[in-house]
Amino acid sequence: MIDSKAISEALKGIASHTAAASDELCAADGALGDGDLGITVSKGFAEAATAELPDDVGMALLEVAKAFQRVSSSSYGTLLATGFMAAAKREKGKPGIELEEIPGLVAAARDAMMARGKGNLGDKTVLDSLDAVASALEGTSPQVMVETTIKAAEHTVERYRDLPNKLGRARMFGEKSVGLPDPGQLAFLRIVEGLRSEAHQG
Amino acid sequence: MKKILNNPADYVDEMLDGMTAAHPQIYAQPVRRVITRAAGAKKGKVGIVTGGGSGHLPVFTGYVGTGLLDACAIGDVFASPSAEQMAEAIRLADGGAGVLRLYGNYGGDVMNFDMAGEMAEMEHDIRTTTVLLTDDVVSAPKEEAEKRRGVAGMVYAFKIAGAAAERGDDLDEVTRIAQKTADACRSIGMALTPCTIPQAGKPTFEIGETEMEMGMGIHGEPGIWRDAIKPADEIAEEMLDRLMADQPLAKGDRISILVNSLGATPAEELYILYRHAKQKLDALGVEIVMPLVGRYATSMEMTGATITVIKLDDELEGLLKAPAECAFWRV
Repeated sequence: MIDSKAISEALKGIASHTAAASDELCAADGALGDGDLGITVSKGFAEAATAELPDDVGMALLEVAKAFQRVSSSSYGTLLATGFMAAAKREKGKPGIELEEIPGLVAAARDAMMARGKGNLGDKTVLDSLDAVASALEGTSPQVMVETTIKAAEHTVERYRDLPNKLGRARMFGEKSVGLPDPGQLAFLRIVEGLRSEAHQG
Repeated sequence: MKKILNNPADYVDEMLDGMTAAHPQIYAQPVRRVITRAAGAKKGKVGIVTGGGSGHLPVFTGYVGTGLLDACAIGDVFASPSAEQMAEAIRLADGGAGVLRLYGNYGGDVMNFDMAGEMAEMEHDIRTTTVLLTDDVVSAPKEEAEKRRGVAGMVYAFKIAGAAAERGDDLDEVTRIAQKTADACRSIGMALTPCTIPQAGKPTFEIGETEMEMGMGIHGEPGIWRDAIKPADEIAEEMLDRLMADQPLAKGDRISILVNSLGATPAEELYILYRHAKQKLDALGVEIVMPLVGRYATSMEMTGATITVIKLDDELEGLLKAPAECAFWRV
Protein backbone atom coordinates (compact mmCIF):
# COMPACT_ATOMS: atom_id res chain seq x y z
CA MET A 1 0.00 0.00 0.00
CA ILE A 2 1.21 3.49 -0.88
CA ASP A 3 0.36 5.99 1.82
CA SER A 4 0.80 9.77 1.92
CA LYS A 5 4.27 9.41 3.38
CA ALA A 6 5.35 7.17 0.50
CA ILE A 7 3.88 9.65 -1.99
CA SER A 8 5.83 12.43 -0.33
CA GLU A 9 9.06 10.42 -0.59
CA ALA A 10 8.38 9.60 -4.24
CA LEU A 11 7.78 13.29 -4.98
CA LYS A 12 11.17 14.15 -3.48
CA GLY A 13 12.87 11.64 -5.78
CA ILE A 14 11.01 12.98 -8.81
CA ALA A 15 11.73 16.59 -7.84
CA SER A 16 15.47 15.99 -7.73
CA HIS A 17 15.51 13.94 -10.93
CA THR A 18 13.42 16.46 -12.92
CA ALA A 19 15.50 19.35 -11.59
CA ALA A 20 18.56 17.63 -13.03
CA ALA A 21 16.74 17.11 -16.34
CA SER A 22 15.38 20.67 -16.51
CA ASP A 23 17.85 22.01 -19.08
CA GLU A 24 17.45 18.98 -21.30
CA LEU A 25 13.64 19.34 -21.25
CA CYS A 26 13.79 23.07 -21.92
CA ALA A 27 16.00 22.41 -24.93
CA ALA A 28 13.68 19.70 -26.26
CA ASP A 29 10.73 22.01 -25.80
CA GLY A 30 12.61 24.93 -27.33
CA ALA A 31 12.91 22.98 -30.58
CA LEU A 32 9.11 22.82 -30.90
CA GLY A 33 7.55 25.19 -28.41
CA ASP A 34 8.42 27.98 -26.04
CA GLY A 35 11.21 26.21 -24.21
CA ASP A 36 10.01 26.34 -20.63
CA LEU A 37 8.87 22.76 -20.09
CA GLY A 38 11.81 21.80 -17.87
CA ILE A 39 11.00 24.72 -15.60
CA THR A 40 7.28 23.86 -15.53
CA VAL A 41 7.94 20.27 -14.54
CA SER A 42 10.76 20.79 -12.05
CA LYS A 43 9.01 23.73 -10.37
CA GLY A 44 5.78 21.74 -10.09
CA PHE A 45 7.39 18.72 -8.46
CA ALA A 46 9.59 20.89 -6.23
CA GLU A 47 6.43 22.57 -4.92
CA ALA A 48 4.63 19.25 -4.53
CA ALA A 49 7.61 17.67 -2.73
CA THR A 50 7.55 20.34 -0.03
CA ALA A 51 3.76 20.33 0.39
CA GLU A 52 2.29 19.06 3.65
CA LEU A 53 0.27 16.01 2.59
CA PRO A 54 -2.79 14.93 4.60
CA ASP A 55 -3.21 11.26 5.62
CA ASP A 56 -6.23 10.82 3.36
CA VAL A 57 -4.41 9.69 0.25
CA GLY A 58 -7.02 11.21 -2.06
CA MET A 59 -6.66 14.59 -0.42
CA ALA A 60 -2.86 14.14 -0.61
CA LEU A 61 -3.13 13.70 -4.38
CA LEU A 62 -5.35 16.78 -4.50
CA GLU A 63 -2.56 18.73 -2.75
CA VAL A 64 -0.16 17.57 -5.46
CA ALA A 65 -2.58 18.78 -8.14
CA LYS A 66 -2.90 22.10 -6.37
CA ALA A 67 0.86 22.48 -6.08
CA PHE A 68 1.10 22.20 -9.86
CA GLN A 69 -1.68 24.70 -10.35
CA ARG A 70 0.05 27.12 -8.02
CA VAL A 71 3.43 27.27 -9.67
CA SER A 72 2.94 26.18 -13.25
CA SER A 73 -0.33 26.98 -14.90
CA SER A 74 1.07 26.18 -18.38
CA SER A 75 -0.89 23.58 -20.32
CA TYR A 76 1.48 20.75 -19.32
CA GLY A 77 1.27 21.74 -15.66
CA THR A 78 -2.51 21.89 -15.88
CA LEU A 79 -2.64 18.49 -17.56
CA LEU A 80 -0.48 16.88 -14.88
CA ALA A 81 -2.66 18.49 -12.24
CA THR A 82 -5.69 17.06 -14.02
CA GLY A 83 -4.16 13.59 -13.91
CA PHE A 84 -3.43 13.84 -10.20
CA MET A 85 -6.92 15.17 -9.60
CA ALA A 86 -8.50 12.21 -11.41
CA ALA A 87 -6.58 9.84 -9.16
CA ALA A 88 -7.42 11.97 -6.13
CA LYS A 89 -11.15 11.59 -6.76
CA ARG A 90 -10.90 7.83 -6.83
CA GLU A 91 -8.83 7.64 -3.66
CA LYS A 92 -10.66 10.19 -1.50
CA GLY A 93 -11.29 8.85 1.99
CA LYS A 94 -8.70 6.05 1.80
CA PRO A 95 -5.54 5.69 3.92
CA GLY A 96 -3.46 4.37 1.01
CA ILE A 97 -3.39 3.20 -2.61
CA GLU A 98 -3.46 -0.57 -3.13
CA LEU A 99 -0.89 -1.59 -5.74
CA GLU A 100 -3.46 -3.39 -7.87
CA GLU A 101 -5.35 -0.10 -8.21
CA ILE A 102 -2.44 1.63 -9.94
CA PRO A 103 -3.12 0.64 -13.57
CA GLY A 104 -6.70 1.86 -13.14
CA LEU A 105 -5.49 5.15 -11.66
CA VAL A 106 -3.12 5.73 -14.57
CA ALA A 107 -5.95 4.98 -17.00
CA ALA A 108 -8.25 7.39 -15.15
CA ALA A 109 -5.59 10.08 -15.31
CA ARG A 110 -5.17 9.43 -19.03
CA ASP A 111 -8.92 9.75 -19.66
CA ALA A 112 -9.28 12.94 -17.63
CA MET A 113 -6.28 14.49 -19.37
CA MET A 114 -7.67 13.54 -22.78
CA ALA A 115 -10.97 15.21 -21.93
CA ARG A 116 -9.33 18.36 -20.58
CA GLY A 117 -6.71 18.81 -23.28
CA LYS A 118 -9.00 17.64 -26.09
CA GLY A 119 -6.24 15.35 -27.28
CA ASN A 120 -6.32 11.92 -28.87
CA LEU A 121 -4.04 8.93 -28.58
CA GLY A 122 -1.52 8.92 -31.39
CA ASP A 123 -1.16 12.72 -31.44
CA LYS A 124 2.37 12.31 -30.05
CA THR A 125 1.74 13.70 -26.59
CA VAL A 126 2.08 12.69 -22.96
CA LEU A 127 -1.29 10.94 -23.36
CA ASP A 128 0.44 8.21 -25.37
CA SER A 129 2.88 7.70 -22.50
CA LEU A 130 0.10 7.30 -19.97
CA ASP A 131 -1.76 4.93 -22.23
CA ALA A 132 1.34 2.78 -22.70
CA VAL A 133 2.00 2.71 -18.95
CA ALA A 134 -1.60 1.84 -18.11
CA SER A 135 -1.57 -1.17 -20.43
CA ALA A 136 1.94 -2.27 -19.47
CA LEU A 137 1.06 -2.24 -15.76
CA GLU A 138 -2.03 -4.37 -16.20
CA GLY A 139 -1.34 -7.61 -14.31
CA THR A 140 2.28 -6.74 -13.44
CA SER A 141 3.77 -7.91 -10.18
CA PRO A 142 4.51 -5.17 -7.61
CA GLN A 143 8.26 -5.83 -7.72
CA VAL A 144 8.63 -4.74 -11.34
CA MET A 145 6.07 -1.94 -11.45
CA VAL A 146 8.55 0.93 -11.44
CA GLU A 147 10.78 -0.68 -14.09
CA THR A 148 7.76 -1.57 -16.24
CA THR A 149 6.57 2.04 -16.05
CA ILE A 150 9.94 3.44 -17.05
CA LYS A 151 10.27 0.96 -19.92
CA ALA A 152 6.83 1.84 -21.26
CA ALA A 153 7.59 5.56 -21.05
CA GLU A 154 10.94 5.04 -22.78
CA HIS A 155 9.39 2.93 -25.47
CA THR A 156 6.76 5.62 -26.14
CA VAL A 157 9.39 8.29 -26.73
CA GLU A 158 11.20 6.06 -29.23
CA ARG A 159 8.04 4.86 -30.94
CA TYR A 160 6.80 8.40 -31.64
CA ARG A 161 10.16 10.04 -32.37
CA ASP A 162 9.78 9.58 -36.12
CA LEU A 163 6.13 10.62 -36.28
CA PRO A 164 4.82 14.21 -36.57
CA ASN A 165 3.22 16.06 -33.65
CA LYS A 166 -0.51 16.46 -34.12
CA LEU A 167 -1.53 18.57 -31.15
CA GLY A 168 -0.71 21.85 -29.48
CA ARG A 169 1.99 24.26 -30.44
CA ALA A 170 4.29 21.49 -31.72
CA ARG A 171 1.65 20.65 -34.35
CA MET A 172 2.49 23.86 -36.20
CA PHE A 173 5.95 22.52 -36.82
CA GLY A 174 4.45 19.46 -38.50
CA GLU A 175 7.14 17.61 -40.43
CA LYS A 176 9.88 19.44 -38.57
CA SER A 177 8.86 17.50 -35.47
CA VAL A 178 9.64 14.19 -37.21
CA GLY A 179 12.84 12.78 -35.72
CA LEU A 180 12.50 14.82 -32.52
CA PRO A 181 11.29 13.31 -29.26
CA ASP A 182 8.03 14.79 -28.06
CA PRO A 183 8.98 17.09 -25.16
CA GLY A 184 5.95 16.04 -23.13
CA GLN A 185 6.69 12.34 -23.52
CA LEU A 186 10.33 12.96 -22.68
CA ALA A 187 9.33 14.90 -19.58
CA PHE A 188 7.08 12.02 -18.53
CA LEU A 189 10.00 9.63 -18.90
CA ARG A 190 12.18 11.80 -16.66
CA ILE A 191 9.34 12.00 -14.13
CA VAL A 192 8.91 8.23 -13.84
CA GLU A 193 12.69 7.72 -13.77
CA GLY A 194 12.52 9.76 -10.57
CA LEU A 195 10.51 6.91 -9.05
CA ARG A 196 13.49 4.63 -9.51
CA SER A 197 15.87 6.84 -7.56
CA GLU A 198 13.33 6.86 -4.73
CA ALA A 199 12.75 3.10 -4.95
CA HIS A 200 16.48 2.43 -4.65
CA GLN A 201 16.84 4.64 -1.63
CA GLY A 202 13.77 3.07 -0.02
CA MET B 1 3.94 53.31 -23.56
CA LYS B 2 2.28 56.21 -21.81
CA LYS B 3 0.16 55.12 -18.87
CA ILE B 4 -0.69 56.16 -15.33
CA LEU B 5 1.03 53.46 -13.33
CA ASN B 6 3.78 52.71 -10.86
CA ASN B 7 5.50 49.40 -11.52
CA PRO B 8 3.83 47.53 -14.43
CA ALA B 9 4.03 44.34 -12.32
CA ASP B 10 1.79 45.98 -9.69
CA TYR B 11 -0.81 47.20 -12.17
CA VAL B 12 -3.52 44.64 -11.37
CA ASP B 13 -3.08 44.50 -7.60
CA GLU B 14 -3.02 48.27 -7.23
CA MET B 15 -6.09 48.55 -9.45
CA LEU B 16 -8.00 46.05 -7.27
CA ASP B 17 -6.84 47.78 -4.09
CA GLY B 18 -8.09 51.10 -5.43
CA MET B 19 -11.38 49.68 -6.63
CA THR B 20 -12.22 48.04 -3.31
CA ALA B 21 -11.07 51.14 -1.41
CA ALA B 22 -13.29 53.37 -3.54
CA HIS B 23 -16.39 51.18 -3.18
CA PRO B 24 -16.11 49.38 0.17
CA GLN B 25 -19.90 49.07 0.41
CA ILE B 26 -19.90 46.95 -2.78
CA TYR B 27 -16.59 45.09 -3.10
CA ALA B 28 -14.25 43.18 -0.80
CA GLN B 29 -11.01 41.32 -1.53
CA PRO B 30 -10.83 38.58 1.11
CA VAL B 31 -8.12 36.74 -0.82
CA ARG B 32 -5.61 38.30 -3.19
CA ARG B 33 -7.12 38.65 -6.68
CA VAL B 34 -10.56 37.43 -5.63
CA ILE B 35 -13.28 40.08 -5.41
CA THR B 36 -16.54 39.28 -3.56
CA ARG B 37 -19.58 41.22 -2.47
CA ALA B 38 -18.78 43.35 0.57
CA ALA B 39 -21.22 41.35 2.71
CA GLY B 40 -19.92 37.98 1.45
CA ALA B 41 -22.01 35.05 0.25
CA LYS B 42 -25.74 35.18 0.88
CA LYS B 43 -26.96 32.13 2.77
CA GLY B 44 -29.25 29.87 0.76
CA LYS B 45 -28.71 31.80 -2.50
CA VAL B 46 -27.11 30.27 -5.57
CA GLY B 47 -23.69 31.85 -6.05
CA ILE B 48 -22.51 33.10 -9.43
CA VAL B 49 -18.79 33.40 -10.07
CA THR B 50 -16.86 34.60 -13.04
CA GLY B 51 -13.22 35.04 -13.80
CA GLY B 52 -10.82 36.19 -16.42
CA GLY B 53 -8.00 38.54 -17.14
CA SER B 54 -7.77 42.16 -16.05
CA GLY B 55 -8.03 45.01 -18.51
CA HIS B 56 -11.74 44.80 -19.27
CA LEU B 57 -13.42 46.82 -16.54
CA PRO B 58 -16.28 46.79 -15.73
CA VAL B 59 -15.98 43.15 -16.97
CA PHE B 60 -15.36 41.01 -15.02
CA THR B 61 -14.75 42.21 -11.46
CA GLY B 62 -16.93 45.27 -11.71
CA TYR B 63 -20.13 43.24 -11.98
CA VAL B 64 -19.88 41.77 -8.51
CA GLY B 65 -22.87 43.23 -6.70
CA THR B 66 -26.51 42.81 -5.72
CA GLY B 67 -28.54 41.19 -8.48
CA LEU B 68 -25.32 40.41 -10.35
CA LEU B 69 -22.27 38.31 -9.43
CA ASP B 70 -21.10 36.99 -6.07
CA ALA B 71 -17.38 36.64 -6.70
CA CYS B 72 -14.74 37.01 -9.39
CA ALA B 73 -11.21 35.66 -9.78
CA ILE B 74 -9.03 38.08 -11.65
CA GLY B 75 -5.79 37.38 -13.51
CA ASP B 76 -3.09 39.60 -14.96
CA VAL B 77 -4.00 41.80 -17.90
CA PHE B 78 -5.56 39.52 -20.54
CA ALA B 79 -4.36 36.40 -18.66
CA SER B 80 -6.35 33.70 -16.90
CA PRO B 81 -6.40 33.63 -13.11
CA SER B 82 -5.09 30.41 -11.58
CA ALA B 83 -7.37 27.48 -10.80
CA GLU B 84 -6.67 28.03 -7.11
CA GLN B 85 -7.91 31.61 -7.27
CA MET B 86 -10.97 30.41 -9.12
CA ALA B 87 -11.57 27.71 -6.52
CA GLU B 88 -11.33 30.38 -3.82
CA ALA B 89 -13.88 32.48 -5.70
CA ILE B 90 -16.22 29.48 -5.85
CA ARG B 91 -15.78 28.80 -2.14
CA LEU B 92 -16.41 32.45 -1.24
CA ALA B 93 -19.50 32.63 -3.49
CA ASP B 94 -21.12 29.56 -1.99
CA GLY B 95 -24.09 30.19 0.23
CA GLY B 96 -24.92 26.51 0.46
CA ALA B 97 -27.08 26.35 -2.67
CA GLY B 98 -24.35 25.65 -5.21
CA VAL B 99 -22.39 27.86 -7.58
CA LEU B 100 -22.70 28.68 -11.28
CA ARG B 101 -19.49 29.45 -13.14
CA LEU B 102 -20.41 31.98 -15.82
CA TYR B 103 -17.63 33.28 -18.05
CA GLY B 104 -16.22 33.66 -21.54
CA ASN B 105 -15.04 30.83 -23.73
CA TYR B 106 -11.23 31.10 -23.62
CA GLY B 107 -9.00 28.02 -23.51
CA GLY B 108 -6.98 28.87 -20.41
CA ASP B 109 -10.00 30.08 -18.44
CA VAL B 110 -11.98 26.95 -19.30
CA MET B 111 -9.22 24.52 -18.25
CA ASN B 112 -8.55 26.37 -15.03
CA PHE B 113 -12.20 26.87 -14.10
CA ASP B 114 -12.95 23.19 -14.71
CA MET B 115 -10.08 22.31 -12.39
CA ALA B 116 -11.34 24.83 -9.86
CA GLY B 117 -14.80 23.30 -9.91
CA GLU B 118 -13.34 19.86 -9.23
CA MET B 119 -11.24 21.24 -6.37
CA ALA B 120 -14.23 22.98 -4.77
CA GLU B 121 -16.27 19.82 -5.10
CA MET B 122 -13.58 17.63 -3.52
CA GLU B 123 -12.60 19.94 -0.71
CA HIS B 124 -15.83 21.66 0.20
CA ASP B 125 -18.60 19.53 -1.36
CA ILE B 126 -19.84 22.49 -3.38
CA ARG B 127 -22.00 21.62 -6.37
CA THR B 128 -21.07 23.68 -9.44
CA THR B 129 -22.32 24.15 -13.00
CA THR B 130 -20.89 25.99 -15.99
CA VAL B 131 -22.27 28.27 -18.68
CA LEU B 132 -19.89 29.72 -21.24
CA LEU B 133 -20.49 32.88 -23.25
CA THR B 134 -19.81 32.36 -26.94
CA ASP B 135 -21.38 35.50 -28.39
CA ASP B 136 -18.71 36.82 -30.78
CA VAL B 137 -20.14 35.90 -34.19
CA VAL B 138 -16.96 36.48 -36.17
CA SER B 139 -14.72 34.27 -34.06
CA ALA B 140 -16.09 31.02 -35.58
CA PRO B 141 -18.76 30.15 -38.15
CA LYS B 142 -22.29 29.35 -37.03
CA GLU B 143 -21.73 25.57 -37.42
CA GLU B 144 -18.98 25.83 -34.81
CA ALA B 145 -20.76 28.36 -32.59
CA GLU B 146 -19.56 26.54 -29.46
CA LYS B 147 -15.99 27.60 -30.32
CA ARG B 148 -16.77 31.30 -30.36
CA ARG B 149 -15.24 33.78 -27.93
CA GLY B 150 -17.27 35.41 -25.22
CA VAL B 151 -17.32 39.20 -25.31
CA ALA B 152 -19.81 41.89 -24.21
CA GLY B 153 -22.75 39.47 -24.14
CA MET B 154 -21.36 38.56 -20.73
CA VAL B 155 -22.96 41.71 -19.34
CA TYR B 156 -26.46 40.46 -20.19
CA ALA B 157 -25.67 37.01 -18.82
CA PHE B 158 -24.38 38.43 -15.51
CA LYS B 159 -27.46 40.64 -15.23
CA ILE B 160 -30.12 38.09 -16.10
CA ALA B 161 -28.65 35.08 -14.30
CA GLY B 162 -27.85 37.36 -11.36
CA ALA B 163 -31.49 38.41 -11.12
CA ALA B 164 -32.64 34.78 -11.19
CA ALA B 165 -30.23 33.87 -8.37
CA GLU B 166 -31.22 36.92 -6.34
CA ARG B 167 -34.92 36.02 -6.42
CA GLY B 168 -34.06 32.57 -5.03
CA ASP B 169 -34.07 30.24 -8.04
CA ASP B 170 -32.19 26.99 -7.49
CA LEU B 171 -28.92 26.06 -9.22
CA ASP B 172 -30.51 24.15 -12.08
CA GLU B 173 -32.89 26.98 -12.81
CA VAL B 174 -30.21 29.70 -12.64
CA THR B 175 -28.05 27.57 -14.93
CA ARG B 176 -30.89 27.10 -17.42
CA ILE B 177 -31.62 30.83 -17.51
CA ALA B 178 -27.93 31.70 -17.90
CA GLN B 179 -27.62 29.26 -20.80
CA LYS B 180 -30.76 30.64 -22.42
CA THR B 181 -29.33 34.16 -22.12
CA ALA B 182 -25.97 33.12 -23.54
CA ASP B 183 -27.74 31.45 -26.47
CA ALA B 184 -29.73 34.62 -27.19
CA CYS B 185 -26.69 36.95 -27.36
CA ARG B 186 -24.75 37.92 -30.47
CA SER B 187 -21.85 40.37 -30.56
CA ILE B 188 -19.43 41.91 -33.04
CA GLY B 189 -16.56 44.35 -32.56
CA MET B 190 -14.60 46.94 -34.49
CA ALA B 191 -11.48 48.88 -33.57
CA LEU B 192 -9.61 51.94 -34.73
CA THR B 193 -6.52 51.61 -32.53
CA PRO B 194 -4.83 48.81 -30.57
CA CYS B 195 -4.19 48.75 -26.83
CA THR B 196 -1.01 48.38 -24.81
CA ILE B 197 -0.60 45.75 -22.10
CA PRO B 198 1.41 47.35 -19.27
CA GLN B 199 3.85 44.47 -18.86
CA ALA B 200 4.44 44.18 -22.62
CA GLY B 201 4.79 47.92 -23.06
CA LYS B 202 3.95 48.02 -26.77
CA PRO B 203 0.71 48.06 -28.80
CA THR B 204 -0.96 44.71 -29.47
CA PHE B 205 -1.17 45.35 -33.23
CA GLU B 206 -0.48 48.11 -35.76
CA ILE B 207 -3.09 49.84 -37.83
CA GLY B 208 -2.94 52.68 -40.33
CA GLU B 209 -4.43 56.14 -39.72
CA THR B 210 -7.20 55.54 -42.29
CA GLU B 211 -7.92 51.88 -41.51
CA MET B 212 -10.34 50.10 -39.25
CA GLU B 213 -10.32 46.58 -37.98
CA MET B 214 -13.52 44.56 -37.99
CA GLY B 215 -14.19 41.52 -35.86
CA MET B 216 -11.51 42.05 -33.22
CA GLY B 217 -11.77 40.42 -29.81
CA ILE B 218 -11.34 42.08 -26.44
CA HIS B 219 -7.78 40.90 -25.83
CA GLY B 220 -6.09 42.99 -28.45
CA GLU B 221 -6.25 40.12 -30.92
CA PRO B 222 -6.20 41.55 -34.41
CA GLY B 223 -9.51 41.51 -36.27
CA ILE B 224 -10.82 39.19 -38.92
CA TRP B 225 -10.58 41.69 -41.73
CA ARG B 226 -9.36 45.22 -42.24
CA ASP B 227 -11.07 47.96 -44.16
CA ALA B 228 -10.75 51.66 -44.93
CA ILE B 229 -12.52 53.62 -42.22
CA LYS B 230 -16.13 54.33 -43.10
CA PRO B 231 -18.83 56.75 -41.88
CA ALA B 232 -20.48 55.72 -38.60
CA ASP B 233 -23.79 54.79 -40.23
CA GLU B 234 -22.07 52.37 -42.59
CA ILE B 235 -20.14 50.82 -39.70
CA ALA B 236 -23.33 50.36 -37.68
CA GLU B 237 -25.11 49.00 -40.74
CA GLU B 238 -22.43 46.39 -41.43
CA MET B 239 -22.19 45.32 -37.80
CA LEU B 240 -25.96 44.88 -37.46
CA ASP B 241 -26.20 43.07 -40.78
CA ARG B 242 -23.63 40.57 -39.61
CA LEU B 243 -25.40 40.08 -36.29
CA MET B 244 -28.75 39.58 -38.01
CA ALA B 245 -27.28 37.18 -40.54
CA ASP B 246 -26.44 35.01 -37.54
CA GLN B 247 -29.63 35.59 -35.56
CA PRO B 248 -32.40 36.92 -37.81
CA LEU B 249 -34.70 39.59 -36.40
CA ALA B 250 -38.22 40.25 -37.64
CA LYS B 251 -41.18 42.54 -37.00
CA GLY B 252 -42.49 42.11 -33.48
CA ASP B 253 -39.21 40.80 -32.01
CA ARG B 254 -38.06 42.41 -28.78
CA ILE B 255 -34.36 42.87 -28.16
CA SER B 256 -31.95 44.74 -25.98
CA ILE B 257 -28.89 46.24 -27.61
CA LEU B 258 -25.56 47.15 -26.05
CA VAL B 259 -23.37 49.67 -27.86
CA ASN B 260 -20.15 49.33 -25.92
CA SER B 261 -16.95 51.36 -25.88
CA LEU B 262 -13.74 49.36 -25.93
CA GLY B 263 -12.22 51.92 -23.61
CA ALA B 264 -11.23 55.04 -25.50
CA THR B 265 -14.23 55.68 -27.70
CA PRO B 266 -16.32 58.49 -26.21
CA ALA B 267 -20.02 58.22 -25.43
CA GLU B 268 -20.72 60.72 -28.21
CA GLU B 269 -19.55 58.32 -30.89
CA LEU B 270 -21.43 55.43 -29.31
CA TYR B 271 -24.64 57.45 -29.54
CA ILE B 272 -23.96 58.10 -33.22
CA LEU B 273 -23.74 54.34 -33.73
CA TYR B 274 -26.84 53.77 -31.60
CA ARG B 275 -28.81 56.36 -33.59
CA HIS B 276 -28.36 54.41 -36.79
CA ALA B 277 -29.00 51.05 -35.17
CA LYS B 278 -32.27 52.36 -33.71
CA GLN B 279 -33.39 53.72 -37.11
CA LYS B 280 -32.61 50.42 -38.79
CA LEU B 281 -34.37 48.31 -36.12
CA ASP B 282 -37.37 50.65 -36.07
CA ALA B 283 -37.70 50.25 -39.82
CA LEU B 284 -37.76 46.49 -39.35
CA GLY B 285 -40.40 46.73 -36.64
CA VAL B 286 -38.04 45.37 -33.95
CA GLU B 287 -38.68 46.76 -30.48
CA ILE B 288 -35.73 47.82 -28.33
CA VAL B 289 -35.99 47.26 -24.56
CA MET B 290 -33.56 48.92 -22.11
CA PRO B 291 -30.80 49.89 -24.56
CA LEU B 292 -27.33 50.15 -23.04
CA VAL B 293 -24.85 52.67 -24.41
CA GLY B 294 -21.54 53.16 -22.65
CA ARG B 295 -18.48 51.44 -21.31
CA TYR B 296 -19.49 47.93 -20.23
CA ALA B 297 -16.74 45.59 -21.51
CA THR B 298 -13.49 47.22 -22.46
CA SER B 299 -10.05 46.38 -23.75
CA MET B 300 -7.74 48.82 -21.98
CA GLU B 301 -7.51 52.06 -23.98
CA MET B 302 -8.56 50.57 -27.30
CA THR B 303 -10.59 52.85 -29.54
CA GLY B 304 -13.54 51.05 -31.01
CA ALA B 305 -16.92 49.60 -30.19
CA THR B 306 -18.81 46.37 -29.92
CA ILE B 307 -22.50 45.87 -30.56
CA THR B 308 -24.39 43.11 -28.77
CA VAL B 309 -27.98 42.14 -29.50
CA ILE B 310 -29.97 39.87 -27.20
CA LYS B 311 -33.33 38.53 -28.28
CA LEU B 312 -35.77 38.66 -25.38
CA ASP B 313 -38.88 36.83 -24.27
CA ASP B 314 -41.00 37.68 -21.23
CA GLU B 315 -38.82 35.63 -18.89
CA LEU B 316 -35.52 37.22 -19.94
CA GLU B 317 -36.99 40.70 -20.18
CA GLY B 318 -38.37 40.57 -16.64
CA LEU B 319 -35.02 39.49 -15.25
CA LEU B 320 -33.13 42.07 -17.31
CA LYS B 321 -35.25 44.83 -15.77
CA ALA B 322 -34.96 43.54 -12.17
CA PRO B 323 -33.01 45.77 -9.75
CA ALA B 324 -29.24 45.35 -9.60
CA GLU B 325 -26.32 47.38 -8.39
CA CYS B 326 -22.56 47.47 -8.77
CA ALA B 327 -20.15 50.40 -8.85
CA PHE B 328 -20.47 50.74 -12.61
CA TRP B 329 -24.14 50.14 -13.26
CA ARG B 330 -27.46 50.47 -11.48
CA VAL B 331 -30.78 49.13 -12.75
